[in-house]
Amino acid sequence: MDALVAQLQMQFRDYTISLYQQGFLDDQFTELKKLQDDASPDFVAEVLSLFFEDCVKLIGNMARALDQKGTVDFNQVGASVHQLKGSSSSVGAKRVKGLCVSFKEFCEAKNYEGCVRCLQQVDIEYKTLQTKLQDMFNLEKQIIEAGGRVPQVDIN
Amino acid sequence: MTVEQDFVSLDQFPVGMRVLAVDDDQTCLRILETLLHRCQYHVTTTNQAQKALELLRENKNKFDLVISDVDMPDMDGFKLLELVGLEMDLPVIMLSAHSDPKYVMKGVTHGACDYLLKPVRIEELKNIWQHVVRSRFDKNRGSNNGDKRDGSGNEGAANSDQNSGRANRKRKDQYNEDEDEERDDNDDPSTQKKPRVVWTVELHKKFVAAVNQLGFEKAMPKKILDLMNVEKLTRENVASHLQKFRLYLKRISGNQQTIMANSDLHFLQMSSSLGGLDGYHHRPIPGQFHGGATAMRPFPPNGILGRLNTPSGIGVRNLSSTSSGMFLQNQTDLAKFHHVSSLPLNHNDGGNILQGMPMPLEFDQLQSNNNIRNMNNNNNKNTIAYPSFSTQQSSLIGAPNNNLLVLEGHPQASPPGFQGHQINKRLEHWPNAVSSSPAQNSNSIIHHQFDVSPIPHSKPDSLEWSNGPTSSYSIPFCDSAAPLSPALDTNTQAFCRNTEFNSNANVQTGGVYYDSLQMRQYGPSTDAMLLSSNPKEGFIVGHQKLQSGFLGAEAGSLDDIVNSTMKQVNRAKEIYLEENWDMEALAHSGHAYDWERRFRHKSKPSL
Repeated sequence: MDALVAQLQMQFRDYTISLYQQGFLDDQFTELKKLQDDASPDFVAEVLSLFFEDCVKLIGNMARALDQKGTVDFNQVGASVHQLKGSSSSVGAKRVKGLCVSFKEFCEAKNYEGCVRCLQQVDIEYKTLQTKLQDMFNLEKQIIEAGGRVPQVDIN
Repeated sequence: MTVEQDFVSLDQFPVGMRVLAVDDDQTCLRILETLLHRCQYHVTTTNQAQKALELLRENKNKFDLVISDVDMPDMDGFKLLELVGLEMDLPVIMLSAHSDPKYVMKGVTHGACDYLLKPVRIEELKNIWQHVVRSRFDKNRGSNNGDKRDGSGNEGAANSDQNSGRANRKRKDQYNEDEDEERDDNDDPSTQKKPRVVWTVELHKKFVAAVNQLGFEKAMPKKILDLMNVEKLTRENVASHLQKFRLYLKRISGNQQTIMANSDLHFLQMSSSLGGLDGYHHRPIPGQFHGGATAMRPFPPNGILGRLNTPSGIGVRNLSSTSSGMFLQNQTDLAKFHHVSSLPLNHNDGGNILQGMPMPLEFDQLQSNNNIRNMNNNNNKNTIAYPSFSTQQSSLIGAPNNNLLVLEGHPQASPPGFQGHQINKRLEHWPNAVSSSPAQNSNSIIHHQFDVSPIPHSKPDSLEWSNGPTSSYSIPFCDSAAPLSPALDTNTQAFCRNTEFNSNANVQTGGVYYDSLQMRQYGPSTDAMLLSSNPKEGFIVGHQKLQSGFLGAEAGSLDDIVNSTMKQVNRAKEIYLEENWDMEALAHSGHAYDWERRFRHKSKPSL
C-alpha cells in the first residue's frame, strides 16, 4: 500500500507541477489550495466547479451576443469577457485569463472575427483545464483512498 | 484612553468584524468569502446589489464594512457605493478586475475607502479592518471637535463612542442633532447656549446667494457665513443648513432622475417626480458614472458629501424618460407649480451635467400659470419645479401622466443658463416653496414630497413653482441635488420622512437616496444615465406606495387645495418657515412619525 500511495503521490506531484509549467495554473491556484483545510476539505473543488459553471454561462452569453449578426453588442460581450477574466484570475486559471485579455481587446476594437476566434479558444481552453483538473482531483482521491495524504506540491 | 486603545481593547477586533460582500460572480464571491473567513471576519455574502442594500437598510448597525464588486448587472457598484455611504455611512471597499486607474479614481471620488484588484489576496484582506477603525476614528474626531460636552476631545469621543460603529453613528447623529436643535456653539466650550436659529426666507435667500456666489461645489460653511454676514449666525448653523440643503437637492435630483425621461433637465419636483414614478422607470443608466460625476465632489465636509457631490443633478435630468411631457399633462395643475429652485448645476462640470435638467425655476409665487405654459412647452425639459425644501412635499405636483410630474418644466424660472445659479433661484424660493400649487395629480405631487424629508410639507400641494418664464434649459437638475451632502444626516429618516408625508407613503428611505445617487451619476450624457439601472428600487416602489397611500389620503384635500392655491401657498410658506427646520431636527432624531403628524396637521385643507 505504501508503495502505491507513494507512487500515486509522485504522480500527483508531477502532474500538478506540469500544469503549472504549462501555464494552466498560476499562483492564485496555490493560494486557493492554501485556503483548503480540514474545515473545508473540498474548497478547491467547489470553487473550481463554480468557476466552470460561470464559464459555461458566460461563454453562452458571449456566443449569443456575437450571434446577433450585424448588431453585435460588443459592450455586452466585453462585459462577459471582463467577468470571465475576473473569475479566471481569481481561481488561477492562467491560460483562460490570458485569453480573456486579448479577447477584451478584440471587443474594444469591435473586431468580430477576432472575437469569434477568441470565443472558440476560450471554450477549448476552459474545457481542457476542466479535464486536467478533473484528472488531478482523481489522483487526489486515489491517494486518499489508498490511505495516503495528498502532498503539498511546492511549485518552484 | 485613546481611540486606538479603545479599538484595540475592543474585544478581539478585528476578529469578528462584520463584512458584507457583494459580487455577482459566484466564483469570486465564494473565494472572497473564504478569504474573509480566513481572516476571522464575520461574513455575509450576496450576489445582488439590491439584496445588499436591503440587508444594510434593514439594520444599519449590522455591518462594519462593505466590499463590493464594481461590475454588477443589477446595479453599478459605484452607485451602490454612493448609496451605502450616503445612507449608512459605512466604509466601502471596491473590488474589480479593472486595473485601469480611471476606475480607481472613480472609486475614490465616489467615496470608496479602498480599491482592490482581482484576484484578491488574503494579505490585502487582512488589513481592511483599518478602514473601519479609521472611519470611526474620523467620526469621533468630527464629533469631538464640535462637541463640547465632554470637553475632552478624543477622549470624550472615544469614550462615548464605543467600540462599535453604532456608537459612532449615534454620536454623530447626536452631534448633528445637537447642532441642529440646540444650535450650540459647539466650537466654543464656554459659550452659552445660543438661541435657536430660524432659517427665515430672507436668511435662506442670503444663504442661497452666498452659496451661489461661492459656487455650489465650493461652498464652505465658513465662507458662506462670512458672505452672509449675519450676526449671531454661527458656522455650525450654516454648516447644518448647508448639509440639509445639499441633501435636499440631492434628493430632488435623485427623484428627478427617475422621472426625467430625457436628457433635458427636468426639474422635477421632488414630490412630483415621485408621484410620477410609476410612469417611468428608471432608465438604466448607461454609463454609470460619467465624467460628470467625478467632477463633482467639491468638498465633502463629511465624507459622504464627497460622494454626493457628483452631479446628481444630472441624473435628474434624465429622469423624464420618454414622456417628458409627463409632467405636464395636466396643465392646469401644472400651472400651479412654480418651478422652483434651480438646482445648483455642477459648476464643475461646466454645468453640463445638468444639461437637460430644467433649471429650477424660481420659486415665486406659485400661482403662475406660466407653469402651464412651460410645462406644455417643455417637452423634455420639464422644468421640475424645484420645490423648496419645504415644498418638497408639495412639489408633488402630480405629473399628469405620470403622476410625477410636477416638475415639469418650468424652465422658466430659472435664470437662463446659469446653472449654478439655478440653484440660487431655487434656493431662494426654497423657503417659499411651501406653497406649491396642489398638484393636480394628486398622485404625483404628493409623492414627490417624500423626497425631501425635512421639508415640512404641510400640504402636498404646496409646491412652489416658480412662475418665471422658464427657459427650458437643460440644467441638470441633479446637479444641485448631487452636492447635497448626504452626510447631512446619516439618518435617512429625514429623507424618508418626507415621503411619509403621507403616512401611507412608504417611501423607502433607500429609495430616495437611491435616486439621488443615481442622479449623480449623470455624467455628461444627459440621458438617463442617471437613472440607476435599478430603477425600481426605492423610487418606484416608494412611489407606488406613496401614491396609493397618499392619494388615498389626500385625494380629497388635494382637490380642495387646488382650488385654493393661493391660500395654500401662503400657508405653506408660513408653515415652511416655522416648521421647516424643526422638521429637520426631527428628521435627525428620526422621528418619522412626527413628520407624518406634522404633515397631516399641515395638510388640513383649511388653510
